[in-house]
Amino acid sequence: MLARSIRLVAAAAAGLLALTACAQGSATKPQEPAGTASGPVTITYMNFGANGGHEKDLASIADAFTAANPDVTVKIETVPYADYFTKLQTAVAAGTASDAFELNYENFVTYTANGTLAELGGVDGSVYKPSLLEAFASGGKQYGLPESFSDVVLFYNADLFKAAGVEVPTADWTWADETAAAQKLTDKGKKVWGDYQPVTFYEFYKALAQTGGSFLNADGTATAFNSPQGIKAAQWLVNKPGKTMPTAADGAGTPDWDTKQFKNGKLAMWHSGIWMFDGLKDASFNWDIVVEPGDTTKASAMFANAAVVNAKSPNAAAAQKWITFLTSSDAMVKTRLDSSWELPPIADTSKVSSYLTKGKPANRQAVFDALDDTVLPPVITSQQEMQDAVTNELGAAAAGRKTVEKAVADAAAAVDALLK
Amino acid sequence: MTRAWRWVLLVVVTAGAVVMMFPFAWTVVTSITPDGSLADGPTLIVQDPTLDAYRTLFASLPMLRIIANSIGVAVACTALQLVTGSMAGYAFARLEFRGKGVVFAGYLATLMIPLQVLVVPLFIQFKDWNLHDTMLALIAPAAASAFGVFLLRQAIEAVPREFDEAATIDGAGHLRIFALIVLPLIRPALATTGILAFMASWNSFLWPLVVIRSPEFQTLPLGLATLQGQFTTQWDVVMAGSVVSIVPIALVYLFAQRHVIAGVSHTGLK
Amino acid sequence: MTKRNHAAWAALFLAPSAIPLVLFTLVPMVSSIRISLLSWNLISPPRFVGLENYARLLTAPATARVFGNTLGYVVGYLPLVYVGGLLLALALNARLPARGFFRALYFLPVITSWVVVALVWKWLLNPSNGLVNAVLGAVGAPQPGWWTDPNWALASVIIASAWKDLGFVMVILLAGLQSIPADLYEAARIDGASARRTFWHITLPLLTPSTFFVVVISLINGFQVFDQVYVMTGGGPEGASQVVVGQIYDLTFRYGRAGEAAALSWLLFAVILAVTVVQMWGQRRWVHHD
Repeated sequence: MLARSIRLVAAAAAGLLALTACAQGSATKPQEPAGTASGPVTITYMNFGANGGHEKDLASIADAFTAANPDVTVKIETVPYADYFTKLQTAVAAGTASDAFELNYENFVTYTANGTLAELGGVDGSVYKPSLLEAFASGGKQYGLPESFSDVVLFYNADLFKAAGVEVPTADWTWADETAAAQKLTDKGKKVWGDYQPVTFYEFYKALAQTGGSFLNADGTATAFNSPQGIKAAQWLVNKPGKTMPTAADGAGTPDWDTKQFKNGKLAMWHSGIWMFDGLKDASFNWDIVVEPGDTTKASAMFANAAVVNAKSPNAAAAQKWITFLTSSDAMVKTRLDSSWELPPIADTSKVSSYLTKGKPANRQAVFDALDDTVLPPVITSQQEMQDAVTNELGAAAAGRKTVEKAVADAAAAVDALLK
Repeated sequence: MTRAWRWVLLVVVTAGAVVMMFPFAWTVVTSITPDGSLADGPTLIVQDPTLDAYRTLFASLPMLRIIANSIGVAVACTALQLVTGSMAGYAFARLEFRGKGVVFAGYLATLMIPLQVLVVPLFIQFKDWNLHDTMLALIAPAAASAFGVFLLRQAIEAVPREFDEAATIDGAGHLRIFALIVLPLIRPALATTGILAFMASWNSFLWPLVVIRSPEFQTLPLGLATLQGQFTTQWDVVMAGSVVSIVPIALVYLFAQRHVIAGVSHTGLK
Repeated sequence: MTKRNHAAWAALFLAPSAIPLVLFTLVPMVSSIRISLLSWNLISPPRFVGLENYARLLTAPATARVFGNTLGYVVGYLPLVYVGGLLLALALNARLPARGFFRALYFLPVITSWVVVALVWKWLLNPSNGLVNAVLGAVGAPQPGWWTDPNWALASVIIASAWKDLGFVMVILLAGLQSIPADLYEAARIDGASARRTFWHITLPLLTPSTFFVVVISLINGFQVFDQVYVMTGGGPEGASQVVVGQIYDLTFRYGRAGEAAALSWLLFAVILAVTVVQMWGQRRWVHHD
């Protein structure tokens, strides 16, 4: 009896090991060469950009592509942004990633560094905005085509400014002007707040550029923000909550809270992205935008997404054809402008002129003016950990648990440790 | 219990029930408020109620297919777990075999590694068997759960042994004792296991997210997740989706609850 | 009946559950041991590093912190949810009008989405204008900063979790209460036993198998708490409420350190296993078997 159970256990263990070995096989499987298939092919494209209302717009671009290239069909898979990278990573791990997919600028570097992306040959760079095209190259090679961009501007409620007798913001404003106006506009009794700017990594690197500092040193080997400029930038953000801006306990940080407050006319100034235009079109008050105030210099945040080709795709040529169409065709430009989607990355500004007259806000020119002085997020291999570390330290300073100086120093130390 | 005490209890239970209902009520209210948003703070007042959010929900997602998928997967997982769990529970509670303790510990051990770590190797496994992106991939890993085995083992242990011993004397084998004597007596536990298995499958998110890519296999949590955008979210639609996803579990619960009570009268009648 | 060996029967009854558990849990578990020896960000080829991940975890201050938080969660959560669930089960086992309706209502939070429950509790526990602090202020008690304060963030999660899971414990204990044979109560009544005596000498002892189940499962699940922390505090402020599985999730899917995550999950496994073994061994002393 005992001998039989031992044999049973041994057999089970052997089977288990065999299964594990085969389960693990594909993680280390040699890479298949990227071929160029001819004849009708179906390629897959995974993206997050179309999620939440633009699924049909992306489908119409794909239809236009197939109409022009009858031998290539595009199968689209749209995943919400919050879950996109979980899904993409596991797909890459198992070797099931789609032929082409979308990446944001922050993650592009990680995927390039790991050899996941196919080098794109024969790209006609002249159609793209040069800065955007350059953002998706690495070591002189093009790995991604810019697909869309958006930027952050200062939204303001003109009616609140008028009621308080304050001049509305202009492109010449500095931080000092913003602070002065925010103080006059804040009326805690009426629950009206002068300003709203999240205390996060994304606002910090931008504020740092606005006051003339830099996040990393020239060769990207260490941080450079534990500096007078870094402290000033952190102070700029941290001094707002509780004074001219609501704290977390007042509701800031609740999903959609800031949008709702602005829509309800309870927020005079709001640092937010141009993706909010559509949601504000029914607002009953007068509102407009300007390029964000700077301190010693202007700097606006730009968010850029790219389309890339999977290095392991057997249909790399067809996939590149698709992403070229997706990022540069007139059909794409028209679809993006008509549907108030993120903006097309093309160089020819005459093609996007209709955007300027599409209605509120009146000063849509600011969206393009902001591009004159943009700053891209600093990118390192441990991107998410860096972002979390900076946001956490700023949060501690905003809540008064740390001095701003200590928070900036601690954040720099944490990021330096990640760079080692 | 005296009459007065019963009144006190009723008042307390009613007050508690109001508190317990509140989040669900808020979900419903937000879903029927025009441009409803969670940012307004909890409220149960509805002005100009509308079903627009439900219309948007059904227009933007293939809800009927998504619900059908979710129901199909959850029913399959529940049925499988009840069969596999009650059989294993019987083995652990009633059969004598060498290494029982170790085997039971092995079952429990499968509950002790978080899914977040198992998802990647499991996905690679399914890809190697070429079974990723199938309905089978959603059902097979939930065909048995040590949780259900444990719950049913406890229930079977609570069944007085005289019952099956009497049957053994009558010459009944284990299959008959299991099916005709034990199963009817553990109906409350089966109902409980069923609700919990159904809920686990119904709410499962990470595994379906990773293993499913075809829209035709989408389940409710995957579909509802697409309602939340990178920058903006229509919360009234999300809440409408939340209501739609709660209703089936509530029905399963009510159905199972009747069986819990039916089970009682059974045990009481011996 | 003498004890017999039922190995063949056992194999038959166990096979339907054992096969899927081995294929879909045990095999990936063994794979995750292998992954714990790798440096792997999921997207590039893995590199074998031996026990380096374990060594790094054992010296990292974050490891002690997340285990401490997780233990704190379990210690706070378990008594709350058990005592609350027991009182609820007893109340709803009594002869009340619309008893089935109430049972369904109390189960509602279990099936309500965590997103909504988290927002409701963050609102109730709002440090400046929440209901809880308003009540505390009225009776002159201190008003904590709850989820905005690193010292109270975990307590906020515990309260919300215990509240949400009350219905779950209630359902299990109700099933337990209802399998207590009615004739035992009948006999106690004839003997003239008081309600209190009946509770301590019949109800509670005969409920121990269900209690044992609730305790073991709540511990196994409690040590793997994640969802509610993720939606309520995101592990913050500044990591003050980060738990082990939250860290595992971040390491795997956000920080590109899947090997370290696998190693951390095996440390967690060791802790849960130890706690469960103690439970199993201790049950002989207090769990009623007939």
